[in-house]
Amino acid sequence: MIESIFLFILAVLMAPFFSGIILKVKAFFGGKKGPPLLIQYYTLLKLMKKGSVYSKSTTYMFKLGPIVSLCSALTVLLFLPIAGHAPVFSFQGDVICVLYLLGLGRFFTIAAAMDTASPFEGMGAAREAYFPIICEAAFFMILILFYRLTGELSLSAYFSGENPFSLWHLAGAPLLFVVFSLFIILLTENSRVPVDDPATHLELTMIHEVMVLDHSGPDFGLIELGSFCKLLFYSTLISRLILPFDVNTPLTFVFYFTGLALVSVSVGVTESVMARYRMDKVPQFVLTSFALAFFATIITLEFI
Amino acid sequence: MSQFFTAILIITAGGGLSLIFAKQAKFAKIMGVLCLSLGCLWGLIDAIFKLIYSTHAERSFEFLNVFSLSFKMDGLSAFFLMAVFGVCLFSSLYSFDYMAHEKKPVRVGIHYFFFSILIASMVLVITASNILAFMLSWEAMSLSSFFLVIYNYEASENRKAGYLYFVFSHVGAMFILAAFALMYGHTGNLAFGPMAEVPETLKILIFIFSFIGFGSKAGVFPFHVWLPFAHPAAPSHISAVMSGVMIKTGIYGMIRVYTLLDLHTPLPGMVMIIAGVVSGVLGVVYALGQSDLKRLLAYSSVENIGIILMGLGIGMMGVSSANPAMAILGFTGGFLHILNHSIFKSLLFMGAGMVLHQAGTRSIDALGGLLKKMKITGACVIIGSLAISGLPPFNGFVGEFFIYMGGFKGVAPNSSAFIMAILAIAGLAVIGGLALACFTKVVGVVFQGEPRTRAAEKATEKGGTMLFSMSVMAALCVLMGIFPGLIIQFPLKAVAALGLGFDKALFEPVLSITGNLSFAALIFLLVFFLVGMVRAFFYRKKTITSSGTWGCGFTQPTVKMQYTGSSYASFIMDFFSPVAPLSEEHPAIQGRFPLKTHYKSHIDDIAGLYMNRVVVDPILFFFDKLRWIQHGDIHLYIGYILLAIVLLLFFI
Repeated sequence: MIESIFLFILAVLMAPFFSGIILKVKAFFGGKKGPPLLIQYYTLLKLMKKGSVYSKSTTYMFKLGPIVSLCSALTVLLFLPIAGHAPVFSFQGDVICVLYLLGLGRFFTIAAAMDTASPFEGMGAAREAYFPIICEAAFFMILILFYRLTGELSLSAYFSGENPFSLWHLAGAPLLFVVFSLFIILLTENSRVPVDDPATHLELTMIHEVMVLDHSGPDFGLIELGSFCKLLFYSTLISRLILPFDVNTPLTFVFYFTGLALVSVSVGVTESVMARYRMDKVPQFVLTSFALAFFATIITLEFI
Repeated sequence: MSQFFTAILIITAGGGLSLIFAKQAKFAKIMGVLCLSLGCLWGLIDAIFKLIYSTHAERSFEFLNVFSLSFKMDGLSAFFLMAVFGVCLFSSLYSFDYMAHEKKPVRVGIHYFFFSILIASMVLVITASNILAFMLSWEAMSLSSFFLVIYNYEASENRKAGYLYFVFSHVGAMFILAAFALMYGHTGNLAFGPMAEVPETLKILIFIFSFIGFGSKAGVFPFHVWLPFAHPAAPSHISAVMSGVMIKTGIYGMIRVYTLLDLHTPLPGMVMIIAGVVSGVLGVVYALGQSDLKRLLAYSSVENIGIILMGLGIGMMGVSSANPAMAILGFTGGFLHILNHSIFKSLLFMGAGMVLHQAGTRSIDALGGLLKKMKITGACVIIGSLAISGLPPFNGFVGEFFIYMGGFKGVAPNSSAFIMAILAIAGLAVIGGLALACFTKVVGVVFQGEPRTRAAEKATEKGGTMLFSMSVMAALCVLMGIFPGLIIQFPLKAVAALGLGFDKALFEPVLSITGNLSFAALIFLLVFFLVGMVRAFFYRKKTITSSGTWGCGFTQPTVKMQYTGSSYASFIMDFFSPVAPLSEEHPAIQGRFPLKTHYKSHIDDIAGLYMNRVVVDPILFFFDKLRWIQHGDIHLYIGYILLAIVLLLFFI
């Protein structure tokens, strides 16, 4: 338990680092030197030192938005097995709780955006309400597959210890689909290219960034930290699947971090070599993840 | 049972008194509210005690010396009675201030009369234990609610809504009667009894008939067409009762018939799950496309009925595939969602009533920024929206969680129900996401941002009893979400009363689930508290200023530039355009100096479209040909009656 809590704190602390890796990779592809790897820590510190400006249109929902979105991300990490160790808390069905907690964070982010009466933020909110619907369906498809394989319904039953290895053992080929599907979900849920472009200077083309335009100071810092934690959550799932080794030594951590770094580099590479899809093409891209998960499930149901 | 009839007596006495004293509007209102709420409270306490101690009660009366009307209260009835009495209690309290500004005082008393008949007939439907008692109460329920729907009969759209409701409830009643007639034809007994001798195929036919009949009351797609018209037309507390509990009598009927039939095929489960997924997804899609607040809530009832059907369907699949864990989880989830939906939907209708009262409009795109002046209403509606979107830690999540768990039990390797289970799980996931979009629209466009019209700007909240009822409902949503263990025994008792023959030990795991859920909710609240502290720490001694919203460089923003409800929904509606086509009306702009023009758009309901094309038009065509029978000559009409009696004598 103590170990798990320690790992949880470590995970929250290192979450901003992987976002830095993505920026570095993108800079490399752009032929630039790029910001330092620890840039996100500096940003967070800078934000926390500042004060805030609130719009006259806003209410308490605007202030609740950042708190709830960070809260949901942190609570989710409490149920996540980090580096293959047992999570802080776990029970049958915790993974459903986790998905719905992320939904709660989304509800409040959208509500905070609608609070500002800004047309741009309304536009971002409308998109934010749309794309994750498909992601959720895809994630539940993956859960059906995992439940069929393991008979359990908790994150620790899939991702801790030797469990990911036995998943590969049970259904290797369908799991490849799952990895790709999870990667698409990661890109969508964390608003990366090709679904969303966090780096653009045009508010019209953004989704997540445009929803937080009016937040400033520590409030914005909380939102940023929340989104780093969310990125870490999805990266951990993929990392544990692509490097499922558990040797019960410090080497486990090496595998885990390599996995996380690999995911971050792939996100960076994807962002560098692809353009953002036109908004009406995005649902088709996200539906791919559902289709992959669906095929994986059907294959498993029929043959395994 | 005498407690139960005392409650009904108090309720109907209240209705009768307010009808007699209808001229003295104030007195009529006080009598109405007092007796209705007292009777409901009496009934509620009785139902809860009956449910906890699993006591059964029976009573029968002779009617016209020929028929007997018998009533029976078991766990299933007591569970539904709890929901009906509870919601009606708070609705009648709410009505005290809601009816305060009625321009035609006589109507208030008449309205309380029909309201009391509605409550009495709903509870009698739930306790009826023979066909005659059931059908009589069912008709009384349909008629009294019809009169409440046409409360504002001056508006032609309300008359149309009432007419539609009338037709639907009677076509539905016809199907129910057909199902009961088939039962009676085989058992020769008017009482609801065991039907072991009835052949399996006939059982399926009875199930299908009663599914259509009860489905048209419950608002199952495609029999839901009346619902989005009738619910907005009625006064808001009546909408709360109709949407919160009256449509659940349809669900009650389905379950009752299911337990009577004792079917062993997977067919009922399949029908329920498929109908549930279709109603759930389409209901919420249409809800998202609405621009009338109360219509949106009415469509959302279609969605929630879908979720309830999915839960019950999973339960039935569990029974037919001999998977007790799946059956118990599915039924418990379905029952829990019945209770939860009755709470948060009536809360939301009450909130919509407050908005309608104060701003004078139900149009979402004409509102905005209400949260600033309607603090309690706003907070209650936000809690209701979170609950109805099925988010933790609110009560909606608990019910859906059980349904998910039941669904997952169905995909286990040795289960034969996996296709239906996958359908239910994926359906529930999509519905969850869409409901979130739909209710962020309600909260975001109606309560947040800047007011879009003068009326919305001036709206404040008034009416102590309205605020009280909403606050209690909202508190229940939170309480039941954080401590589901407090109320889980009610649905479990109802499941036990279904007589599925499961061992008591099988119910044990369910209790651990509620423990886990309240554990997760408490962890979340703890984290929430800690993050709040951290935020407060960082805001110590900081300069906090306020200014206008950042307009991305644009310096002259107006309230008209905000995202409206229809623009918020348009992305998702585009995706669903094959089932929810958008129809627009905008005359072309002509000439050098064009006159004022307009733009109108609304989302069509395909069930409504096809009902007109496939059912209504051919029927009208056919009956048009038979118009000569209706000639207006009274002598010939008497002749028809004689002829009919003579013909009947030959057959019987």
